[in-house]
This record gives sequence, C-alpha cells and structure tokens, in this order.
Amino acid sequence: MMQTIAIAGILFARNVAGILMRPYETYRRIVTKGSVWELGYIGALVALYLATATIVKNPYFRPFFLTRQYVVLLSATGCTFCVVVGLYAIIGRIFKSSGTLRALVMGWGYSLVPTLTWFWITSLLYIILPPPRTTGVLGIAFSVVYLIFSAVVLFWKIILAYLTIRFALRFDFKKIVATFAVAIPILGIYSVAMYRLGIFKIPFI
Amino acid sequence: MTDATYKKFVKRWEEVTDLPTQTFGPATPYYKKFVARLKVMPWGILVLGSIVVVVGLYVLLGTAITVIVSILQKGF
Repeated sequence: MMQTIAIAGILFARNVAGILMRPYETYRRIVTKGSVWELGYIGALVALYLATATIVKNPYFRPFFLTRQYVVLLSATGCTFCVVVGLYAIIGRIFKSSGTLRALVMGWGYSLVPTLTWFWITSLLYIILPPPRTTGVLGIAFSVVYLIFSAVVLFWKIILAYLTIRFALRFDFKKIVATFAVAIPILGIYSVAMYRLGIFKIPFI
Repeated sequence: MTDATYKKFVKRWEEVTDLPTQTFGPATPYYKKFVARLKVMPWGILVLGSIVVVVGLYVLLGTAITVIVSILQKGF
C-alpha cells in the first residue's frame, strides 16, 4: 500500500514535469497508463488550496464558520469535477466515442494542475498585493504582468482540455470542437449557478 | 536491429499510430508546423500569444484592465 502511494507520487511528479515540457506525449501516457492513485495527490493539493483560500478570504478566525465554508467549497469542487467528467462522458457517448471513463477521469484530473496553479498564485498575490489595482504606472504594470500570466495558464488549460478529449474520447479535431461547443455553454450555466449560490466567483474547473 | 530494440520500436510505433493523424486538407502542413510548437515546450508560443492578447486588451480598454485584474484577484 505505502509502496503504491510512493510510486504514484513519483509518477505524479514526473507527469507534472511532463505536462510542462512535453504535454502531448505525457498526456498520451497519462490517459493510457496512468494510475488512479496519482489523482490522490491532485486531490490533496486541491484540499490544501481550498483550506488556504478559506482562511485567506475570511479575516476572522471562527472555526465553525471556516469549517462549514471549507466543506461547502470542497464538496462544490468535487461536484464540479464529477459534472465536467460526466458531461464529457455523455457527449462522448452521443458522438460515439470509443474511449473509457477511466481515461477521462485521468485526463481531466491532470488538467486541474493549471487551474490549481492559477488559484494558488492568485491567492498568494491577494495576500502580498491585495486588490483593487490603481491606474498608476505600477498598477498598470502589475495588471499587464498578471493578465499575461493568467492568459498563459488559460492557454495551457485549453491545451490540456483538448488533449483530454483527444486521447480519452479518441476524437478528431471536428468532434473535439463540437464537444467544446456543447460543453462550454452548459458549463457556463453551471458556473453562473455556482456564482448565484455564492460558492465560486470564478469556477474551479 | 536486436530483438529488444525491434520490440521497443514496434511498441512505440503502435503507441504513436494508435490514433489517426489529423488532417486539414491543403492547410495540413501549416497545422502540423503550428502544433509541433505546442507539443514540446509550448511556453514560448504561449507567452507570445498571451502578450499579444494582453496588449490588444490594453489598446482596447486602456487603464480599465486594472478593473479586470481587481475582479480576477478577488475571484478565487
């Protein structure tokens, strides 16, 4: 058991380095050979991030309130993961995919790495340089750098989402575009619902 | 070629040809050239693309980009 967890940890670190350097090749390996144990590390990082975000966003230390907030965020994040994977699985079935649910879970799980990166860095910047930004030279300079960082992470996320559909559902370009055309409006509605419920301002997708 | 190398080659070949390659008619060579940059160390092209997008946003919105950043920073 301990050995399996340790091996999964090494593979997870190798795959994270891989999706940074060689995303295409690494994703093919993740989807076909990846172990579900590796997702435990992503889950742990998400749980740790949500705990940090809960504390950062709430200035008063009230254990009951913080715990409640944390449980709500954690459940919503888990629910979002299931919704996204379920949605892609349904679309895959509609478009007659020959992929597997396991491959989809692995692929989408690793696509949370850029999401986590953005949220972690945004939280840290919230502590170091809390908003609002000014329209002075320094404010604009920071805004430009922050937006470039956000756009890079967004493009990285799009590449990993594309590779998830490509390898997990085994679709060609046309079907991938069709999949996104169906999924994005639904996820948009889901995100608005999450916002209205006061759970996420920016969805943890 | 030794047996082990050949087996490794066949395994790799099967892995690579598992999915049919993408084609875009006459645009296929350009597509392949672009995608090759994204397959290995895509950071150069991603940073370049992001700079273009953000400069475009700045030209379009001016100092209002600070409002977007303030919203994003509060959004986690």
